[in-house]
Amino acid sequence: MSAGQPVDPRGPRFAAVITTVVLAVVLLTSWWPLLAAQTIVFGIGAFIGLRYAPYAVLYRSLVAPRLGPTAEREAAAPVRFAQGVGFAFALVGTIGYAADVVLLGAIATGFALFAAFLNAAFDFCLGCETYLLLRRFAPGTQTQA
Amino acid sequence: MGQTGLWILLAALVAGLAVGLVLRLREGRIRPARPGEDVDPDPSHLPERVAAALGPAVTLVQISTTFCSPCRHTHARLATLAENNDGLRHVDLDVTHEPEIAHQLGVLRTPTTIAYDAAGAELLRVGGVPDADTLLDSLRPHLAPA
Repeated sequence: MSAGQPVDPRGPRFAAVITTVVLAVVLLTSWWPLLAAQTIVFGIGAFIGLRYAPYAVLYRSLVAPRLGPTAEREAAAPVRFAQGVGFAFALVGTIGYAADVVLLGAIATGFALFAAFLNAAFDFCLGCETYLLLRRFAPGTQTQA
Repeated sequence: MGQTGLWILLAALVAGLAVGLVLRLREGRIRPARPGEDVDPDPSHLPERVAAALGPAVTLVQISTTFCSPCRHTHARLATLAENNDGLRHVDLDVTHEPEIAHQLGVLRTPTTIAYDAAGAELLRVGGVPDADTLLDSLRPHLAPA
């Protein structure tokens, strides 16, 4: 039950910045196809693997070469779990917008943005650290590790 | 319609800023035990895994989950601290599959580290990655003089 190779911690941080911007654009435009795309991005990271997550690919090819290598590594399981939480919110948001329940779409997107922003600005992974709290509210929820 | 989105965007950013600042302030801060609030004053009510882990002097019980990366930093830091100090023991409990342990201890976020004396009475707790030196200073009265 390996979650994959440990990752350069700057990668998820970079992904969180892009995610924050994308979600902000969604809130301002209510353009749900963009949120659907973000949902798929979350889904790839959570369920397929961080290596294949589009923002991680972008990070590796464009950003990492400019920053230089780092010996620091972060475990993949927390990051994937957080992507799974993001996936759930983005999915609800997409359904909300697509079904023309704009308020639902916007609120779900707002929660996802809140978490992505905390990660981008403060390097705090909400989904990871409050896993126990999430479990208490949704005891049946089990994300693969 | 666009208005709603704008307000929710602003609310999410303001909330994120507020929560982020509060978390940064509280990160690693040492909190003395508060009997009756998050602490059960009767050590015999400790979860079994915690009671079984207690050492002869002071035990740092770290509550972790698989999904928590600061837990790993905390583990490394506390393991070194315990190695270098007689009477100090460090135990890392992964409660991913036993969230009820965290519930019983009143732990909402991981990592949370709780220091117990030999009898199982809580001395203090720390949320987030603790500062090793500060933690050691707070525990010194409970550790036998070297």
